[in-house]
Amino acid sequence: MSGFWLIVHKDLHAEFRKPEAVVSMAFFGFLLLVVLNLAIPLGAEVSPETGAGILWVAITFSSVLGLAGTMSREKENRCMDGLLLSPMSAESLFGAKMAVNCILMLVAELSIVPLFFILYGDGFFHSLPMLVLVVFLANIGFAATGTLFSAITASTERNEALLPLLFYPVVIPLISITVKVTGMIFQEAALAEYVSWIYVMTAYGLIFSGLGFLLFDHVIRE
Amino acid sequence: MNEMSQFLAVNNLCKEYGGCRALHRVSFGLRKGDFLSLFGPNGAGKSTLLQIISTLVSPSSGRVEIEGFDLQEEPEHFKKQLGVISHQSLLYGHMTARENLIFYGSLYQVEDPAERADELLRTVELYPRRHSRVSRFSRGMCQRLSIARALVNDPSLLLLDEPFSGLDQYAAAILTEQLGELRSRERTVIMVTHNLDRGLAAATRIGILTGGRLAYLEDRDSINPSAFEELYFTHVHGACTA
Repeated sequence: MSGFWLIVHKDLHAEFRKPEAVVSMAFFGFLLLVVLNLAIPLGAEVSPETGAGILWVAITFSSVLGLAGTMSREKENRCMDGLLLSPMSAESLFGAKMAVNCILMLVAELSIVPLFFILYGDGFFHSLPMLVLVVFLANIGFAATGTLFSAITASTERNEALLPLLFYPVVIPLISITVKVTGMIFQEAALAEYVSWIYVMTAYGLIFSGLGFLLFDHVIRE
Repeated sequence: MNEMSQFLAVNNLCKEYGGCRALHRVSFGLRKGDFLSLFGPNGAGKSTLLQIISTLVSPSSGRVEIEGFDLQEEPEHFKKQLGVISHQSLLYGHMTARENLIFYGSLYQVEDPAERADELLRTVELYPRRHSRVSRFSRGMCQRLSIARALVNDPSLLLLDEPFSGLDQYAAAILTEQLGELRSRERTVIMVTHNLDRGLAAATRIGILTGGRLAYLEDRDSINPSAFEELYFTHVHGACTA
């Protein structure tokens, strides 16, 4: 098994044994959906744009809980040094941590998205296939950025408090594009109307994945 | 020392942290099977030297070569031959002792990580506790498992940073036995320690690092153990007053 798969297996096994990250992400997302639902008058229709905003507020705010956890696990007994001492490359390590973050976000979204449809009406349900694509692309962008920034903050004392302060300003462009595209999908807009935004989301994911692969070794050592 | 016979070559190694000089032009070479005990006061740069050789920290200037391969240019080749025991155990608390060793063995692409893990667990006498999580281990047991972790890839070069600190007598005896066994198999060892007696007993070469400089380096055979303490203090005091 390569270093990449070993780290993915180790982290997912740890999460399976003690599902702290996924449970806290899903529960926080659930809470946000419920609280935001209280602001909507009983029986009122939620507009596609508002619905998209609510969904992504729940996903983005809950995701940061998991992003910090995958890297802070390596702080215990300086296990990160153990990984850096091994022949595994820093690129494999970044790729593995990013993949784990993607999977954890996906698992949390498997509970957040259905709850969104339950609370905010099944009128948006028709858009599920395209929503899956948007969630996938957003996850890659969030995971790439989050993994890089969690590595930057991992060596600090209060990394879980510092991560959101660095992470959110950088992902705001991705969040705003994702909300816009999701709103258009909920409106049943034609693919041609928002395909350019899908390309931008893809580019964001690729750029931050590339930056992560390039900078991770330097960030994690210094 | 003949360049061709060197296993490890450290050349003009310097390290600065924000203008503060931790190491200054440190150079030495080790042959295969050499056991270097490195002494020095706190803040002398001993741990920094080990961190650079272990690839965890980049030098400001200078080179480290192992069997002719440059540390900076081919770190993957270098790392396969390396074992490290540091102040921290580098073990995952949520995993069992056996899982930790299998994980590290797999990272180093050991042929049969499970078999190697069991063998090392027997060596450090933790086999009966192999399925216990490391978070439930005492400090001494963690240290013993840390020794096993460092040996999982059967390293050609072992770096030990204060390996005896915090060890009970039993764990210290296991470590001493393992170090003897490594010496008999021509493994190269660099041990940083404050314990002059243990360092002298194990070593084939002795070094004193003080103020970031290698102030003294000699073969163990040329040293009179009863006079070494005075020699050590002379070098340390000399560096402090210089």
